[in-house]
Amino acid sequence: MNKTQLLQGTLDLLILRILELGPNHGWGISNRLQQISKDGLKTSQGSLYPALHRLEMRGEVKSEMTASENNRRARVYTITRAGRKRLNQETETWEAFALSMRRVLEEEQ
Amino acid sequence: MITRLLATVRGLLARRRIEREIDEELRDHLQREIEAHRSRGVSAEDARRLALRDLGGLTQTIESTRAVRATWLDSVWRDVAYAARVLRRSPRFTATALTLLVLGIGATTAIVSIAYTVLVRPLPYAHSDRLVFLAEKEGSGIAWPNFEDWRRRATSFEGLASSLADSVIRRGGQFPQQVDSRSVTVNFFGVLGTTPFQGRFFHESDARPDAAPTAVLSHAFAIREFGSAQAAVGQTLTMSGRAYTAIGVLPPGFRYMTMADVYLLLEPFVAANYRGMQNRLNHTALYAVARLKPGVGVTAARAEMQTIAAALGLEYPATNRGSDNPACCIYIVPLADRIVGDMAPTLTVVAGAVVLLLLIACVNLAGLLLNKSASRADEFGIRAAIGGSRWDLIRQLLIEQALLVLIGGVLGAVAGAAILSALVGLAPREMPRLDEIHLDLVVLSWTTIVSCACAFLFGIVPAVKASSVSGQEVVVRSGRGATRSAAALRQAVMLAEIAVATVLLSGAGLMVHSMVRLARVDPGFDPNNLQTVMFALTGPQWPDARRQVFYNAVVERLRALPGVENVALTTALPILGSNWWTVFNTQGKTAEHWISTGEFPNADTVLVTASYFDTLRIPLVKGRYFDQTDTPNSAPVAIVSSNVARKFWPNEDPLGQQIRQGFPSDPFGPWRTVVGIVGDVRQQGVDRNATPQLFMPVIQVPRATVFTIVRTRETVSASSIEAAIHDLDRNVSVFNDRTVDQLMRDSSSRRRIAMIVLSAFGVVAVLLAAIGVYGVIAQAVAERRREIGVRMALGATGGQIRGLFLRHGLIVVAVGIACGVGAALAAARSLASLVFGVTVSDPATLSAVAALLTVVTLLACYMPARSATRVDPLEALRSE
Repeated sequence: MNKTQLLQGTLDLLILRILELGPNHGWGISNRLQQISKDGLKTSQGSLYPALHRLEMRGEVKSEMTASENNRRARVYTITRAGRKRLNQETETWEAFALSMRRVLEEEQ
Repeated sequence: MITRLLATVRGLLARRRIEREIDEELRDHLQREIEAHRSRGVSAEDARRLALRDLGGLTQTIESTRAVRATWLDSVWRDVAYAARVLRRSPRFTATALTLLVLGIGATTAIVSIAYTVLVRPLPYAHSDRLVFLAEKEGSGIAWPNFEDWRRRATSFEGLASSLADSVIRRGGQFPQQVDSRSVTVNFFGVLGTTPFQGRFFHESDARPDAAPTAVLSHAFAIREFGSAQAAVGQTLTMSGRAYTAIGVLPPGFRYMTMADVYLLLEPFVAANYRGMQNRLNHTALYAVARLKPGVGVTAARAEMQTIAAALGLEYPATNRGSDNPACCIYIVPLADRIVGDMAPTLTVVAGAVVLLLLIACVNLAGLLLNKSASRADEFGIRAAIGGSRWDLIRQLLIEQALLVLIGGVLGAVAGAAILSALVGLAPREMPRLDEIHLDLVVLSWTTIVSCACAFLFGIVPAVKASSVSGQEVVVRSGRGATRSAAALRQAVMLAEIAVATVLLSGAGLMVHSMVRLARVDPGFDPNNLQTVMFALTGPQWPDARRQVFYNAVVERLRALPGVENVALTTALPILGSNWWTVFNTQGKTAEHWISTGEFPNADTVLVTASYFDTLRIPLVKGRYFDQTDTPNSAPVAIVSSNVARKFWPNEDPLGQQIRQGFPSDPFGPWRTVVGIVGDVRQQGVDRNATPQLFMPVIQVPRATVFTIVRTRETVSASSIEAAIHDLDRNVSVFNDRTVDQLMRDSSSRRRIAMIVLSAFGVVAVLLAAIGVYGVIAQAVAERRREIGVRMALGATGGQIRGLFLRHGLIVVAVGIACGVGAALAAARSLASLVFGVTVSDPATLSAVAALLTVVTLLACYMPARSATRVDPLEALRSE
């Protein structure tokens, strides 16, 4: 799998994981993404915003325009209860998947 | 799901704001990224370039983020805008389709609303399905003693009540005022299941002879007279010389048969022998209403009442026996049937007509949409060829039709309201439940759904079929238009239209024919220029002697008015008829003689002044009219109509015969000498046969309430007549002004409504059928242009080409009319009670209708057929 290509579900999961730590704006999320993945999972910033808005349409995050420095406004995202639920579910699924993958791969060796 | 929906709605409402915010958000991101790069020492220019690269371009990201926000509603909106453009671009199609929808939805809704309100909607009483109406034979009024016996013996009912529509004179204002009243038994409101709006209803104790008079008021009357229902309770009303205390107010809109403002107790009237109600022979306008016990049907109740009537016949042979006697049988029907009464056939016919109209409108709409989709087959094919999915196409069409039906529905509702108020204006004032009629939303939604279903079915199915052809096929076929199956369908549509038009037009023809016959009927008197009012001389201050003087004074006084030709007083207005039917016996004939002939002499009895026959222009056949020599003290006299003479004195001279009212065993009034025979008068309505009439001088039998009939040379207003009577005595109440002409119109209004609706719809149906036929033939001509070209190139003449299409049209027209005549004959039975003087299968009417339709539709065929001959062969062939 090409490192820069992320499954959409994975990106959603990462965003939700980051927001679980606290509300953040798009740029902050993008930075955290790079930090968490130690630049190993580089996402295109371009796909981050559609993903964020999609999550909001699904009610898994909510957002608010807040004033930021220099007379600009920034959109701050917060995870919702539905978002947390999905994060928990997907984390379990992901872990189960990763575990079974590891088993298969270890057997092969 | 809900959060999603909310987000969608919010998204729609705040589209602009959201787009601006996405803009802002991304610019903020960009700014932060640039600053981050700068803080690592990158040049301003490079920082910007890097930031934009990482974001994947600002505009692109904005677009893709916005795309997430766009919802399915946005694509629907796009489709709606496209559909609106499609409709705007073919204004002729749109206008025709809308006309059809407005006509179909509007007319159907209005008329079905009326029919539904009058015929179907439950009566406004609790569990009204268990209420039945009772009367004596064929609906004649009940003699009070019989009613009491019924009530004592019947076990089918929870309660049996009776009532009498009446009017009372209320004193209080400048002039005495006439108030519509209803006298009811104590249990009346209980049987109907009505509860008081304010105060209470009658108790048994109110009916005791020593009880103070009480009254229950209508809500409207309480508001009008006392300001509020609350204020009305406890008020005193002086009516017909007695002081009544208002004890309760009815709920708003309460109505039983006729409108009444005041409800009085019947029992005290009976105790006072009002109108001779204690007499078992006296069938006054008393009718009963009863509530069936749960589980008891009308049939069972009818059987029980029949047993009771038979038993009473044995117990009271003098009054209750004989198949002619009103008391022989008991008439019992569901209350709803009685209230709707003889409007039912009219409404059924009108509703039937309107359903046919809706059918024809739908069929036409179908034809229109078929043509439309045929001409768009190429568009659909190309859309399919360039990758439009089937669902995309169907959705697009659904939206187009929905838009059409929506606009049609809104306009149709407006048209429906207009048609409704026009029809309510046409209806006779006595039409049952008139005040309950309004545009029914349930009906409106039904008609809209039917139109919708029709539009979708005929608009989409062919299009889907068209879209299933492969793109290549369309490109190859391009320009040839519709398929063979579509043409067959259009022919079926045309056939159906002609058939339905035939049915409607036949109905219209029969009704027009009936109205013509009715107008030609000689009512036995001259109904033109007769103005009538009614006045009442009630109370102890009006002894007979004073009434007799007053009658003469009124006639003299009114004759002196300018424009007045003659004046008469009578107790029965023509057309409305007499409500005093009596048996009479004749000197020299025994009761046994009449029993052997099967019928006692009987007649509708009318009390009149001497001037009556001259005023109404009723011809004298033999003997003399009443005149000045007939006074209160002269010998009692009577005049009979010719049919009385024919029926009861077939071989004798009626003049000089002695007659006396009542059965031989129970006569009343003095013996009277027959002094004259006059022509038969259709006193009970122009469409009824003339009934036997017995006239007596009102001067010899004075009555409190009499009608004044004024024959006018020029218009004399009712108010000048009223003023003239008030000049004689300010305390006489005058009311109910109308002309005999009005009465005649009202009496034929059932037929007139049926005629107007059927004729209007018949004309519309013929027009629609003609348009339909024209369309089908024109389409056929257009599709076969090339063939025509070839034929003409090979030497076919114009006549041959025309014949080709005319033959084609003629077959469809002939089959359509044949089907229509068959259907008309089947449907005509519903007209049976409305036609007059013609049979429902009148061959002259049916053949005239068939001929008219043939001419119109063939003309519609001929016009496009003629244009076929103008095809230029060269051009037709080259255009391929």
